[in-house]
Amino acid sequence: MKNFSLMRISIWVYLALFFSYLLGPLVIMSVTAFNSPGFPRAAPWECLTFEWFSALFQDERILNGIKNSILVGFGTVVLSVTMGLAGALMLTQIWPKLRATFYTIIIAPILIPGVVIGISTLVFWDRVNRMFGLDADSFLSNGLFLTIIGQSTFIASYCMLVLVARLQRYDIGLTEAALDLGATHAQAFRKVLLPFMRPAIASAAVLAFLASFENYNTTTFTFGEYPTLTIELAQKVRYGITPAISALAFIIVLLTVFAALFNEAHIRRKELVAAARKSATVDELESGKLRLPGFLSSNTAAVVLVVVAMMTIAVVGTATVYSPQQCIADVKEQKRLETEVRIQELRQRRADEAARRAAEQADQAEQEPAVEATPKPSNNSGFGSVFDPGALQDDGADAPEEEPAKPGNNSGFGSVFDPNALQSE
Amino acid sequence: MPRFLKEYFNRNGVGLGSVMLGLVLFWTIGLIILPQLSMLDFSFRPNLPPPEIGGPKDLYTLENYKYLIFGPEGGSQDYNAVDLRVFYRTLIAAVLVTIFNLILCYPIAYYLAQTKGNHIRVLALMLIIPYWINEILRAFALRIIFGETGILNNVLVGMGVFDTPFDFIRNDIALYAGLGYAYILLMIFPMYNVIESLDRNQIEAARDMGASWTRIHRRVVIPYAKPGISSGCTMVFMLSAGALAAPQILGGPSSLWFTQLIYQQFNDNSDWPQGAAYAVVLLVTCILLVLALMRVFKVNMGDIGK
Amino acid sequence: MSAGVGVNLEDLWIKFGDFVAVREANVNINGGDFFSFLGPSGCGKTTILRAVSGFLEPSQGNVLIGGNNMKGIGPNKRPTALIFQNLALFPLMKVWENITFSMEIKGASAKERRKRADELLDMIALTGQGDKLPSELSGGQKQRVAIARALCAEPDVLLLDEPLSALDLKLRQHMRSELREIQKRVGITFIYITHDQGEALTMSDNVAVMRAGVIDQIGDGKTIYNDPNTAFAASFVGENNVFRGTVKKVIGNEVMVSTNRSGDLMARVSTFNQGKMKEGDDAMLFIRPEAFSLAPVGTQGDHFVTAKVTKEEFEGNVFNIFMEGEGGKEMKVALPNLGQSFESHQGQPMTLEYDVHNAVALPAGVLATE
Repeated sequence: MKNFSLMRISIWVYLALFFSYLLGPLVIMSVTAFNSPGFPRAAPWECLTFEWFSALFQDERILNGIKNSILVGFGTVVLSVTMGLAGALMLTQIWPKLRATFYTIIIAPILIPGVVIGISTLVFWDRVNRMFGLDADSFLSNGLFLTIIGQSTFIASYCMLVLVARLQRYDIGLTEAALDLGATHAQAFRKVLLPFMRPAIASAAVLAFLASFENYNTTTFTFGEYPTLTIELAQKVRYGITPAISALAFIIVLLTVFAALFNEAHIRRKELVAAARKSATVDELESGKLRLPGFLSSNTAAVVLVVVAMMTIAVVGTATVYSPQQCIADVKEQKRLETEVRIQELRQRRADEAARRAAEQADQAEQEPAVEATPKPSNNSGFGSVFDPGALQDDGADAPEEEPAKPGNNSGFGSVFDPNALQSE
Repeated sequence: MPRFLKEYFNRNGVGLGSVMLGLVLFWTIGLIILPQLSMLDFSFRPNLPPPEIGGPKDLYTLENYKYLIFGPEGGSQDYNAVDLRVFYRTLIAAVLVTIFNLILCYPIAYYLAQTKGNHIRVLALMLIIPYWINEILRAFALRIIFGETGILNNVLVGMGVFDTPFDFIRNDIALYAGLGYAYILLMIFPMYNVIESLDRNQIEAARDMGASWTRIHRRVVIPYAKPGISSGCTMVFMLSAGALAAPQILGGPSSLWFTQLIYQQFNDNSDWPQGAAYAVVLLVTCILLVLALMRVFKVNMGDIGK
Repeated sequence: MSAGVGVNLEDLWIKFGDFVAVREANVNINGGDFFSFLGPSGCGKTTILRAVSGFLEPSQGNVLIGGNNMKGIGPNKRPTALIFQNLALFPLMKVWENITFSMEIKGASAKERRKRADELLDMIALTGQGDKLPSELSGGQKQRVAIARALCAEPDVLLLDEPLSALDLKLRQHMRSELREIQKRVGITFIYITHDQGEALTMSDNVAVMRAGVIDQIGDGKTIYNDPNTAFAASFVGENNVFRGTVKKVIGNEVMVSTNRSGDLMARVSTFNQGKMKEGDDAMLFIRPEAFSLAPVGTQGDHFVTAKVTKEEFEGNVFNIFMEGEGGKEMKVALPNLGQSFESHQGQPMTLEYDVHNAVALPAGVLATE
């Protein structure tokens, strides 16, 4: 038993470490999106600011990139899902001797490095272009076309895998029954097979869109005049990092979390509805008055979703009115003062250094009458008489005015300027 | 019409059948086979400006491949040490990343697959979410962390481990961490799928007979999970060797990746045939290595699938 | 819906590569008949059904429905409706949508379809269940929905592929009579395939007995039972005791068979084989369990059989007596329970008598294996 709990603990520790490795970078990046310094950092934390988000929304190139990404995404989804579906159907019908070869060919794009797919697409369609005698402006050289084609080559493979998994559970008898009852092949496909495949087609479409959206290796060769968001990001990350990128990342993380929660809530709801239908009586079903469980009941994901949504709205609301100016000004002042302190400390150190050196010199020069053993305060320092208390008193600085009022000094610099303090040394 | 074609159209209808066949042919031939052949062919041609392509100067040549091995003609060295070293390093690094990933992810995959409970669902979700985020952004996040002013250096300097910030990037540590990070999901998923189908009773029986955990894993789980393991390793290896974003963002000056060489050939040097040749070399090497691995571990193509 | 569309199979051959699934089938099914194809699994009956419904093109020969050659006509254009063995109800459609699918194909409005669905639901005694999904129905209910769906398509010929095999005994017996009733009411031709000879006999007007792609016999139940053409038909349909031997003498419509273990026995030659059996032929003599009656022990003669009793069973309406038979297989005798007293003859020889007319002699052939 003892061994067992030791194992349990180590498992949990391992899991904790693993997930912090996995999620840590994202958390930190999200934090940098809200921090004011111009280079993304999480520590030290300076000011909460939303300015990077507005910078993000004003960045032309990023917005253009998003537009292109969406266009490419849609095109890729349409092409990949249809090719994947055709491939999946063909796979189930092709005779066994050819099946292995066919399968290898359509799985291959997953294994081929994305870079190679990008290049081969570029080279091939350039050649086709040339063969037809078209020039560089033609449709076949269009960045959007090439990117969609290039991405679909391997994304269709992923789609096919998803679809085949579902297709294997399909009873071919259903298509035959439809035909037998008078349907044409197209009708049987549309009314019986497609509805059955719908969940898989939806998954494949989402998969295709996400894969297309975030693709870099292939797109980087084919984008032509139409850079996608990923391409723009890569440029920025390599040549000009600002927290605006963190802001974008944070938004994407948030959207992802939303999507995941929404998906969970949806699945859970379907489960609840199916269970309710099972235990319903015929009357309830017929009249459509079946009492379905409430939207939020026993659905944790839905609750979390609503909470997060509300929090986001609240934050966005504050963002529009919140101005970090004051904070930034404060921070600037703080920094200035800190720098001053450091300078002062540096001066003090140098003064001490100089004095020490002077003492050494005095020791070394034994012929000369012994100078005062006690080091004279800072008269030989390179700063002149700045530290001379006497000099300051004549200055009429703030410090002496405060002096009679309070024994200690409440200026930010402690008792440096206090002549008494120095003299008592 | 040959018999099988006739049966095919009987089964699917003429309209639908033609559409299906058309799409499949377009995909396999037009998108998969022809472009690769085209690239292969292109790599054997000299680098000509567009008007001269197809003209008399456009003859087959091995010069692009020679360049990879021997360097520029009349150059100072006997071998193209720089490029060859990059190639070699890329492959080794990919292998190391794969092994690192395997060791890192195996326990997780096992735990997720064999334990029950609602928290598994949540953990799986937490596993998937990072991967919906752009790989560029993920590399970027790591860059921030590993940078001179990043959290990692802040913590280490603060704790007094280092006096000045340690340059993770120059030392390739950032790159390896980044590559390891990038493909975790792809390693876990296939292993998880396979291990999940392992009957719990087998493990219980082994425990019952007094086997230690190491033995159970070595003799029961791992042999069973071999298809998943090889699937994951293949994917991670291919993706690491072919990675472009992580090296570009997280790599220091000394850790050039072979894919970056290809990128340079295409974009900076405008030497497409050269780039194509490099790409062919990369592709062929990766495929050969993977096939060799599959042979060694006695796994076949059909096992690779999610 | 026309009552009385016949189906003809002319010289039908169906081959898959080298394998012959159906060999030279010639069948005439009258319009309005309930016709069954009976045989063990793998005998080719499903193949014939698929050829009639249009999912298979025969290698040779013709399928005619209502006198029209169906060559090259796809399943969606033939006037047939098929009820699949696993029913193939569309899982994502409600019951009423399933039933009226054929109307939906033709473009009928939802209102019309709903109305027709309600009528059919009444007919199959599932009133009000139209909004359920197939997964929410029991086996018997699904069965009836499949029938309603097929009937809604108003076919000339209804094809049924072992529809009752997945049901439990009680339900099966109930459905037998229901199906027969529906057929009589609707009046269309039913072609039914099964391996259960009880179903075939009770429901059909005519039966085709099949084995390994060959149709052994076509006839009504009584004929097949009393006058089988082949040894297979004799042993597959109902229970039968077989005596192997050689033909000793041919006397008109009867033969004397010199059996291996029971001496010389007389039997009638089945109609199909009359004139075909000669002296010296290998023969099999078949006597049904119920054809025997008790005789004084030890009586000899050409219609007496003596053997040792191995087991006795009382089944309520009959006494089942099992006796040593040849080849290790037991002989079965079924004596009706008429209230007579019955002493056990366990382990002792018993003599049975039978009427020669009730014994059938056939050329030796393959028997049905159980």
